[in-house]
Amino acid sequence: MEDAAIVDLYWARSDRAISETEHKYGKYCHSIAFNICGTREDAEECVSDTWFSAWNQMPDKRPTALSAFLGCITRNFALNLLKARNRHKRGGGEGALALEELSDCVPDGTDVERSVEERELERAVGRFVAGLPLRERTVFVLRYWRLVPVEEISERLGFSQSKTKSMLFRTRKKLRAYLREEGLC
Amino acid sequence: MLDAYSLLRAMNGIREEDIVMADKHFDSPKHVRSRTKRMVTLALAAALILALGAGAWALFFSMDHRVPEPEESFRIHWEESPSGYIEWKNVGLAVTFPETEESRAVEFRPGWLPEEMASLQDDAWASRLTAERLCFEGGADFVPAYDDMTQPMLIESFAMSQFNQGGALLLLDYTAGAVTEETWVDRNVDVLYFSASIHFDANPEHDLPERTLVQNYVLLSNPEAGWVVRIGGELDLETLLEVARNLEIRETGEILRYEDFTDHFALFNAGAG
Repeated sequence: MEDAAIVDLYWARSDRAISETEHKYGKYCHSIAFNICGTREDAEECVSDTWFSAWNQMPDKRPTALSAFLGCITRNFALNLLKARNRHKRGGGEGALALEELSDCVPDGTDVERSVEERELERAVGRFVAGLPLRERTVFVLRYWRLVPVEEISERLGFSQSKTKSMLFRTRKKLRAYLREEGLC
Repeated sequence: MLDAYSLLRAMNGIREEDIVMADKHFDSPKHVRSRTKRMVTLALAAALILALGAGAWALFFSMDHRVPEPEESFRIHWEESPSGYIEWKNVGLAVTFPETEESRAVEFRPGWLPEEMASLQDDAWASRLTAERLCFEGGADFVPAYDDMTQPMLIESFAMSQFNQGGALLLLDYTAGAVTEETWVDRNVDVLYFSASIHFDANPEHDLPERTLVQNYVLLSNPEAGWVVRIGGELDLETLLEVARNLEIRETGEILRYEDFTDHFALFNAGAG
């Protein structure tokens, strides 16, 4: 079913909205949640919460890209879970590894006022990613938005792992410089 | 506190279209490259990997190449011809590029050249650099090794937009050997390189021995900016690659579109004279 038709089901408050969403995006959201949390149970919980949240947000929202809309909700639930369960260590799934990698970009001891600056940070990240060349952008989004393991990115896109890693390393360096320029770290 | 967690969460600021684009590249089964390789038997692999691999790589790699059939002809603009063009067959390799509305023109200067070409090195920026004078006897800096009709090295820039609607970079007469595709992440360029050769039988009438001429080519392209730089000639491939790695390239600010070109083919062949 087309995304627009699924969104129409939400707007019509039809029960089919959830089943159609699950059919089309269940695996997608599950993989995002699993990559972040690292356990099947947590991932299932995040995905269920995602459907519930989507049901509550539509209407009023009419997402233009349903996959990104749902993926974002799933990410948020999974990241909350990750934080709540204090899994910022090795062995906590791709979320923990991604956190370790991204610590390159944020020096310790930098203060950021919550909310307003968080939104500014989101906007800055969005601008930064939009300005990356296609290849780097694709790899960066897959790694840090969808949290796909480096091995899988390399396999799917036909790059060697070392190439993917070096691409990510350079992009993180650029991100750090960009955040500095923007006064965000 | 800005920590890695906040940054990971801030990835929610990535634009929808960038997420959709990344998903598309990642999820489409036809883009699965090495996974497919493992799934097929070795006996089937050669044909299948070539087909799938080319498709997958083409998604990211900004140059596509093929060896045209010998009878396939290309109409090339040629002012010397009464008709204004010539039909060229026996094309050894045709390289094509993605449709590009606007290409940013570039100029370059070598950061490194082999010792024998020291006389060509200065700080000037150019869009075409020829080592032609090194191959003509009588020239002040004549190098005897390059006395053929090809030349040691020619560097030239092109615009991808020039090759829209079926245009191509063509290798004439020579036969291309294995074509290697790489991406130099640090330079943000796709790279394609190969050796090409042509064999001549002995010609007693003109006192010419049997001989094989070799030309080597390195092609750099930047799909975002839409430019292409070709480095080619008689120099060996490793040397040309070293020249390419050290070539400084900068944008001139000029934008080039399809309409700016009268011809939509260009030649690899680094001829002299």
